[in-house]
Amino acid sequence: MICVKICGVTREEDAVAACEAGADAIGLNFVPGTPREVDADTAARIASAVAGRTLRVGVFRDAPLHRVLEVAGAVPLDCVQLHGDEDPEYVSRIPLPVIKVLPAGPDLAARAARYPKVDLLIDSPAGGGSGEGWDFVQARALVAAGRRVWIAGGLSPANVADAVRAARPHGVDAASSLESAPRLKDAGLVQEFIDAARAAPETREQPDERGYFGDFGGRYVPELLLPAVEELNEAWTALRDDPEFWEELAGELATYVGRPTPLYFAQRLSDDLGVRVYLKREELAHTGAHKINNAIGQALIARRMGKQRVIAETGAGQHGVAAATACARYGLDCEVFMGAEDVRRQELNVFRMELLGARVHSVESGSRTLKDAMNEAMRDWATNVRTTYYLIGSAAGPHPYPLLVRELQTVIGEEAREQILAAEGRLPDLLIACVGGGSNAIGFFHPFRHDDGVAMVGVEAGGEGVGVGPHGATLTAGSPGVLHGSRSYVLQDDDGQIFEAHSISAGLDYPGVGPEHSFYKETGRAEYVPATDAEALDAFVYLARTEGILPAFESAHAIAELRRRAPSLPEGSLVVLNLSGRGDKDVAEARRLLEVRR
Amino acid sequence: MNRIDAAFERTRAEGRAALIVFVTAGDPDLEMTAELVPELAAAGADVIELGLPHSDAIGDGPTVQAASLRALKGGVTPAQIFDLVRRLREVSEIPLVLMGYANNILARGEEPFIETCADSGIDGLIAVDLPYEEAPVLAETCAAKDVHPILLITPTSPPERIVRVAQHSKGFLYCVSVTGVTGARKQLPTDLRTLVGRIQRVSSLPVCVGFGVSTPEQAGQIAGFADGVIVGSELVQRVHAAGSRAEAIEAAGAFVRELSQAVRSARG
Repeated sequence: MICVKICGVTREEDAVAACEAGADAIGLNFVPGTPREVDADTAARIASAVAGRTLRVGVFRDAPLHRVLEVAGAVPLDCVQLHGDEDPEYVSRIPLPVIKVLPAGPDLAARAARYPKVDLLIDSPAGGGSGEGWDFVQARALVAAGRRVWIAGGLSPANVADAVRAARPHGVDAASSLESAPRLKDAGLVQEFIDAARAAPETREQPDERGYFGDFGGRYVPELLLPAVEELNEAWTALRDDPEFWEELAGELATYVGRPTPLYFAQRLSDDLGVRVYLKREELAHTGAHKINNAIGQALIARRMGKQRVIAETGAGQHGVAAATACARYGLDCEVFMGAEDVRRQELNVFRMELLGARVHSVESGSRTLKDAMNEAMRDWATNVRTTYYLIGSAAGPHPYPLLVRELQTVIGEEAREQILAAEGRLPDLLIACVGGGSNAIGFFHPFRHDDGVAMVGVEAGGEGVGVGPHGATLTAGSPGVLHGSRSYVLQDDDGQIFEAHSISAGLDYPGVGPEHSFYKETGRAEYVPATDAEALDAFVYLARTEGILPAFESAHAIAELRRRAPSLPEGSLVVLNLSGRGDKDVAEARRLLEVRR
Repeated sequence: MNRIDAAFERTRAEGRAALIVFVTAGDPDLEMTAELVPELAAAGADVIELGLPHSDAIGDGPTVQAASLRALKGGVTPAQIFDLVRRLREVSEIPLVLMGYANNILARGEEPFIETCADSGIDGLIAVDLPYEEAPVLAETCAAKDVHPILLITPTSPPERIVRVAQHSKGFLYCVSVTGVTGARKQLPTDLRTLVGRIQRVSSLPVCVGFGVSTPEQAGQIAGFADGVIVGSELVQRVHAAGSRAEAIEAAGAFVRELSQAVRSARG
């Protein structure tokens, strides 16, 4: 939610009205000779009237440091806003949170870099407090770089919504436009201003501003992580509007990842199954899975936010390898958390990550798989939150991750939609993808969400069989709950303890799922079914022999469902299946399992 | 009056900080907790936090994680813990705060969960991964049932958020001393006093400091400027490390007496 500061308050009743209207902060002006200056006694009365109800910010301009400290202690103030040429040394000597005001204009980034730790308030270049407007887009780059940015200068109830859309700031600040007479705030205008600043953007797309897809999503994280999650949300909201970011990303995807990946007509598979099947070849992307789309995108974000240390969780190791790859590409330090059980199952991927310069932490807690790797990554993030970027690999986690990961993965569905239209002149009847956390599936499904004729099936890990033994079929057999920062379907007991999942495929071995899939399930937009370990192993062999393609165990679940469903599909049905990863990593395990079978 | 408020009224009148101690309920079994609580109270704890074991304790370090898993392996459930609290209420009026994770609360339903807290004799609730924005129903039910929702403020909380969190908290504010998870630490951060001061400025609630506090010396330092000191992992560890049940109870009592002395003599 956008923070609002009502500045230049001169009366107790105006301060109280601002609180009642929902203001996060009020400004008390101590700059001598300015129109809204208050003396220390008045300020103290106002401060006492709103103690504990809003942040009390004292506004100064090049005042002697001792005066700032004196006033801050006497009033008292909770925060200090500096409008002059105060240098970083001066700022560092104030024992309260500081908002440093910088005029918009040339070299804004360089000027901001001088004050790396404090909030910034970007004001009109005409001079602090002039009330004149400016091009608010200038502030957006600072927001995208992870700074906490307020904007001010000519903001009014009429233009604040546009300014928020342009700058995507942490907060807005206004004074003169909210007055009925000089120095006197108008309670109606204050309320209008706050409402306009916070008005939800006009969109019917999911998720909403709080990160909810219907009833699913949100932010269920310890208080320590909330500011970090909000910092990322603000940065991402600013970056998504920045064409330069998307151009840079598109260039990387084309020349480094190898996009677009082909859409391949699987002739022999089609002949055998009696439907027309296309495979979206994500397994041909660099590192052998769709995970790289997200890893490259988020590594670019981490770099822009100035976070040198990147952490990631991994199940099969595909996301870990993708994260390690992206970090090597951009010179970032990478540490990967991986369950000890997965370390054993995916030895080769551990070595790959180490080759790429990443440090792999073997996680011994809980079931020693993906769930516990993610727990441990969140604990690390909580400890190193100021310097570390958490590169989540699936469309799960607290808002904005499910949205962010989806947006970085929709390239799959966008390409597939264009490619199938070019190849067949029509949209497919059915999309199939495997679902663990669900990032490949959501990226594949999302661009088709408004195409009513396109059915979608997500295939979960049936493990030893739902109702038979352990599995990872969260949407099939789970219920709504909270895991890893969002509300979604989870596998749990009646008391809310999370079950350990099981799957032949480490990437689907997860008792949760991204919140948007829960939303798709509840609204009926997609259907979710399980495929067992045995079915997936059969499908692994089947695709190898029919098409000469070794699918990842994860993607083999989608193939299994295709085989099961094909006989019941109308003749001539057109199916696109997302082949999310290649199976080289699973060859050793497949060999072991096939030998056991014999 | 809520027992937590009464406790802080008393400690304020005595001109000292409160001592709050944490043990995981059901670690290694419920009988241990039933015996520990009266001992801790007698040794000088002003408030006791009972950890509600969760399978995925993302806010906890290795010590409390392990304690939770021991309890869960023993088959301990929230229902049994509520029964334990009812039993404890027959013998003790010590303020009890339940500290747990959102999913155990949501699984039962926010309203039934809080109602059961109130009926059994719980005075406050800390839900580690449930920010106030996600918990309007919880807040309403807490208010109706006089169970205090106790929220956390951390070194990374922005100033305007501190004001908001304080507005949504009751009983006391839990100030997290460090960035990180629960667990003993050798040193406390140097700017802790500043953070506590900032919180005290915007809220009249007692501000209690926890995470990483493990020695009587540290407890004494904090008691010099904060309204309360919270010690958890170190106590859990001492109970776990003891050879027998009797030794565990004795070790816990001795440790809390040391902490209590340090807290009581902190302000000269």
